[in-house]
Amino acid sequence: MKTKFPIFLSALILLSACVGDDFIEDFVEEEFQITSNVDSLQVASSIQLFTVFRNNIGQQEDVNVDWLSSDDDVIRVEQDGTVTAIAEGEVSIVARIQRPEQELSDTIHIVSTAIEVSEPDLQTTTGTIQTTTFYVLEGSFEYTETDSGVRIDIADDYEASSRLPGLYLYLSNNPNSIAGAHEVSEVTTFTGEHSYEVEGVGFSDYSYLLYYCKPFNVKVGDGKIQD
Amino acid sequence: MKNIIIAILLIAVSGPISAQSPWVKKKGEAYVKLSEWWTVFDQHYTDKGDIDPNVTTGIYNTFLYAEYGVSDRFTAVFNGAIFSRNVMNNLRSATTGDIIVEGEGLNTIGDLEFALRYGIFSQDSPWKLSATLSLGLPTGTVAGGKGQNLQTGDGEFNQQLSVSAGKSIGNQEFPAYFSLYAAVNNRTQGFSDEFRWGAELGFQPINKLWVTTRLQSVESLQNGDASDLNTASSIFANNSEFLSVGAELSYYLTDKLGLSVGAATAVRGEIIAAAPSYNVGVFLDLQ
Repeated sequence: MKTKFPIFLSALILLSACVGDDFIEDFVEEEFQITSNVDSLQVASSIQLFTVFRNNIGQQEDVNVDWLSSDDDVIRVEQDGTVTAIAEGEVSIVARIQRPEQELSDTIHIVSTAIEVSEPDLQTTTGTIQTTTFYVLEGSFEYTETDSGVRIDIADDYEASSRLPGLYLYLSNNPNSIAGAHEVSEVTTFTGEHSYEVEGVGFSDYSYLLYYCKPFNVKVGDGKIQD
Repeated sequence: MKNIIIAILLIAVSGPISAQSPWVKKKGEAYVKLSEWWTVFDQHYTDKGDIDPNVTTGIYNTFLYAEYGVSDRFTAVFNGAIFSRNVMNNLRSATTGDIIVEGEGLNTIGDLEFALRYGIFSQDSPWKLSATLSLGLPTGTVAGGKGQNLQTGDGEFNQQLSVSAGKSIGNQEFPAYFSLYAAVNNRTQGFSDEFRWGAELGFQPINKLWVTTRLQSVESLQNGDASDLNTASSIFANNSEFLSVGAELSYYLTDKLGLSVGAATAVRGEIIAAAPSYNVGVFLDLQ
């Protein structure tokens, strides 16, 4: 009977070697914003405005949006987000949604003008990469809208540890999770300037650069994309 | 560069500690041990020796260890992970409970090691001194699972040459021994070579029970030329180092049959699991 004990114990260990669960704290505040980069509109023309709602884990969700114009006689807004300039002037366009706990809204100001309006400039912003572990990861970056997506220009002050296996860069709306994130690339440059061209991504689609170790399934660092 | 903590831990904590014994078998004598060894870790030592988290990872190995006295001078040694399981947990959102990254497991044979030990001093000598050549075969899986993150072997053929010395220091009322060893481990596939050393102190506090305490060190020679990019598993990077302490109890149920239970943990490390390992086993001491 005694000799069966280690065999029994070994079998027990093997059987108990099942896949369990790890949990990560990934709560973020809900966000709602108008993503269209519009500040002027020629009288008698229309444009579609878009919004994005990100839930409490930073993932986009479809929601019913209520649109309001501060002066329908200047710019009229339809409930699908289409705005039409009626007369010259300046109005506030409000988009709002109802959540169980609160109302979220965003406002932009549009000038209706008689003169022809040029295409808005491509947007750009900056940010700083920081480590959230003991591995070296630091540097600054510029985040620029392109005709087909965005470009991330990492500056020459960038440095990352090359000892960590499987380091990847994501665009995410949750600084702690890759759920719903966009995988940009495996990180193959560990010092100095380099760039990533990301096709099919809107300028306002993501809020963070997220450096993530795939084999460990753990975040290594992040960089907030400044508003 | 696809070095593996699995391999290191196997070598460091389980088999080859015994394989580094300076004692050689008499011709025809044998020792066979079947054991289960495992470690589960959710943090690891970084390249700077700090501790960082990782998804909970488990490595479970069933080892067969055997020594056989080919002659009074030569002992053949086999140490192999005849079954190896590597698991990684699901990663779930604490907010929604949804799975973010699905966990998975890999079951294969692990790496195997064959060694030949030569007793430099005769069996009658009070001091024991031996040299051992060990060959590690990469029979395990280097990259498995959907994410190719699971491993049961390091994928490299290594050759280790070691010298060990020891002496019985007790008496009939309190049998005891000590041993020391040093080794150079030549590794292939771009892995850095290693210098290893260890010490072992064993004593018999009561009849039939042996207590063994161990100190083990692995230092990378930092001469690997593999790429820094390592897409394979976990903390299993090149140039892993550690200093570990461990203890094992071996109880003889009969003159030949016994049970063992042990544990070990790294007290200093770089790119290695920051968690203890455990083992239980049954052995046959055929003298």
